[in-house]
Amino acid sequence: MEFARPRHRRPPEPIVPMINVVFLLLIFFLMSAQIAPPAPFDVTLPESGAGERAAPADTLYMDEGGRLAFNAVRGDAVLDALAARATPDAALQIRADAGMEARALARLLPELAAHGVAKVEIVTRAK
Amino acid sequence: MMQFGTPRPARRPSLTPMIDVVFLLLVFFMLAARFGHDLSLPMDTGGGAGAYDGPPRLVAITEGGVALNGRALPLDALAEALTPLMETPEDIVVLRPAEGVALQRLIAVSDALRAAGLMRLVVVE
Repeated sequence: MEFARPRHRRPPEPIVPMINVVFLLLIFFLMSAQIAPPAPFDVTLPESGAGERAAPADTLYMDEGGRLAFNAVRGDAVLDALAARATPDAALQIRADAGMEARALARLLPELAAHGVAKVEIVTRAK
Repeated sequence: MMQFGTPRPARRPSLTPMIDVVFLLLVFFMLAARFGHDLSLPMDTGGGAGAYDGPPRLVAITEGGVALNGRALPLDALAEALTPLMETPEDIVVLRPAEGVALQRLIAVSDALRAAGLMRLVVVE
């Protein structure tokens, strides 16, 4: 007696194309990402229509109240930390809150100059 | 003659752990990446080389408007009013935000000046 041949089990889903896609995404994120340490506090950058693309650099954070943060240093001690920077000639980026008083920045810039920071850039959000 | 077991067919290494690791990396980079690139505006610290010279170019910034050397102006007219006071576009323009003016306002004024080609801006108190 002849029975019908048992149906083949479906082959498992091919996994290699998925790995290809995942690797592609991985490479994309590796290339496009700027790995940056998280901001010490919430900073809403001001909006601007001018300027060049910001490259990763030493970053000084200022919050809405004008508090300073640079790496692990907080408060006025950042000025000494900035003076002892590993790359004193590189530009220093300031990420300051849009709602911060502009005079706080005006007060800070000459102090930075006095501590040997020659090039300063304000980081803004593209409009 | 000694009999060994039949040679086992070479097994393909399992792909699952590799996929786990790759997914982990993928998720890490997706979370750690900062998207929407930011812009950077160079600012003079006032301590650099190149002294100020020429006629006074003091732009006072208030919440509502700007004033060039004490004369109130609309923001659109500021760059034009500065032109006769500049010898070269590299001349320093001094920005002086009033008390309580937010950084966003200072950036807006500096944008207007940069759009007109004035790049050396100094912020003073």
